[in-house]
Amino acid sequence: MWEGLWTGMVIGFQTTMIPINIGLVLLGCFVGSFIGMMPGLGPITAVALMIPVTYALDPASGMVLLAGVYYGAIFGGSTCSILINAPGEAATVATAIDGYPMAQQGKPGKALAIAAYSSFSGGTIAVILLMLGAPLMANVAKSFQSSDYFALMVMGLTAVSAFAGPGGFLKALLMTVVGLMLATVGTDQTSGVQRFTFGSMNLLDGLSFIMLAMATFAITEGFLMVLKRQDTTGVFKAKNLASISDLRVTRQEFRKIAPTIGRSSLLGFFIGVLPGAGATLGSFLSYGMEQRLANPEEKKKFGKGSLIGLAAPETGNNAASTGSFIPLLTLGIPGSGTTAVMLGALIAYGIEPGPRMFVERPEVFWAVIMSMYLGNVFLLILNLPLIPYFARLLAVPRNILIPGIIFFSMIGVYLITFNNFDINAMILISVIALVLRLFDFPMAPLLLGFILGGLMEDNLRRSLVIYDGSMSFLWERPISLSINLVTIAFLTSPIIQWLLSHRKRDQSASPDAH
Amino acid sequence: MNVNMEKMGALFILAFSIAYGIYAVKIPLIFLSQGEALNARTLPYALSVAGIVISLLIIILPSFDKDKVTTVGEALSGLDWRRTAWLTGLMLVYSLSMPWVGFVIASIFFMAGGVMILGERNFKVILIASIPLVVVLWFLLTKVLGMYIAPGELFYILGGTE
Repeated sequence: MWEGLWTGMVIGFQTTMIPINIGLVLLGCFVGSFIGMMPGLGPITAVALMIPVTYALDPASGMVLLAGVYYGAIFGGSTCSILINAPGEAATVATAIDGYPMAQQGKPGKALAIAAYSSFSGGTIAVILLMLGAPLMANVAKSFQSSDYFALMVMGLTAVSAFAGPGGFLKALLMTVVGLMLATVGTDQTSGVQRFTFGSMNLLDGLSFIMLAMATFAITEGFLMVLKRQDTTGVFKAKNLASISDLRVTRQEFRKIAPTIGRSSLLGFFIGVLPGAGATLGSFLSYGMEQRLANPEEKKKFGKGSLIGLAAPETGNNAASTGSFIPLLTLGIPGSGTTAVMLGALIAYGIEPGPRMFVERPEVFWAVIMSMYLGNVFLLILNLPLIPYFARLLAVPRNILIPGIIFFSMIGVYLITFNNFDINAMILISVIALVLRLFDFPMAPLLLGFILGGLMEDNLRRSLVIYDGSMSFLWERPISLSINLVTIAFLTSPIIQWLLSHRKRDQSASPDAH
Repeated sequence: MNVNMEKMGALFILAFSIAYGIYAVKIPLIFLSQGEALNARTLPYALSVAGIVISLLIIILPSFDKDKVTTVGEALSGLDWRRTAWLTGLMLVYSLSMPWVGFVIASIFFMAGGVMILGERNFKVILIASIPLVVVLWFLLTKVLGMYIAPGELFYILGGTE
């Protein structure tokens, strides 16, 4: 095992350390930080916007760039949360709970520095775990058959809904189904029959995933900013930029947050490995764990600018983001919305993620992992001193920012196919997605369903052929059976939670309760 | 409107799922696949049923957090619909005009129009936000990355040759 690990690291190191890839990691971190820092824009939008650029690169370089954009955007999102209390996405909401009060107390530089050190530590520890865990998982996955893959995909899709909580469970599940429906548009790969093409040549290959990603995230974000009249530049301009430059963290403060970083790294990583859980859960659970472990005096500081309260979610979300690469790289199952977009990019490069990628395209597999070391270092030594300057980007007026986002989204889609049909379809889908987002329906499950839909149908078909049309493949193989049992648990837990909460409410509302 | 917004969204997807199911029936099947356990219609049928059932569950079941229920009226009021509609219209015009006027002109007009729709009236800012951005992007794409971007019908009408 160690020999294989060493060989892999050497391959990854050789691929990453060529000048163009070093430049791409740097560019990815920089662009990711910039986009992630924009209020309302998260890693999904950042990665989706950069995908068209990667089509001009080889797959390893493309993935290195996208990975850089991913962790750069998470880093940028934290900056935005701390400085103006406007988290770009759910994963940095917990960062704002203690980060923003710290900034309000005149310590924005310290808050940003702690966030950066925590992100770096969480990211680095998680990369080491990823390096050790991914090959192991890929080796286990080599024994997987179509029925196991089908079960895994169903589990991944169900998990995304289950982690949305009892209130959002059905909505997330419904959006997953809609994503799967959209995946059926085009020519059926096995029979060659056209489905839902309405006689249009443009739909023969199905809907483009990048078009769907841009429509549901990038353009809709732009629309939402216009609709809600969001303008954070004024809030930002009111802040004292000079105080951001003071990035000093004392040795005592480091000592105080060190155990938190260790615990949150491990928790975040293992949460990230679960399909569907992602960085949001990683950050909130780390925050919750530290709050529970804190002494009574420290507990009182939570929500009012606690150093531990800031370090925990920052470490947790970075470790979880790294952990989410395990299901992506080894099983081809994305652990989050952003890794779903990256999975789409890999498929577009002609690479099927999963254990075969580990064997057939080790340079891509290992380059992504090794580039993360480099990316974490770049983020710390380059982005941290640049924070005061980066922060000024928050003052870009929305009058320019929003048309710019929409323009780059449309151009990104147009440059892939040079077909105006995709732009028109994108406009239509963005309007529908906007309405659904206003109605509080999540878009990440839709994208996940769309990306996994084709693979899921293929594996289901193969399983049925192997088992002579019988559905017994769902329980005959121990691996499939175990995964399916987990899926059932995912499906039933929100229902049980929902029933329990209703029962509790009914009991408290009934007159006998008093 | 005093309708719960998640129910409204579910109603919208219910209609979509029914329409999807109706079109799923029309998917042609080749002779050999009619007896197969999974043919081109099977998954669409299952998805249509799943879509209908889940949307109905959202519509019928009470909301999880009744205290936080938002009505459609509340969710949609106070939003800047006018600017969003203008921006959507501009996107459509951009898409339709690009084959005729070409990438550079259409993009400059899109950026300038977008900046103006969002309230910018300073002519200098409008020009800076549109022309340099588009020209630099065009240069990077065509001259640095070597991509071919068709110049548009207008270019040929005016007698241009490549």
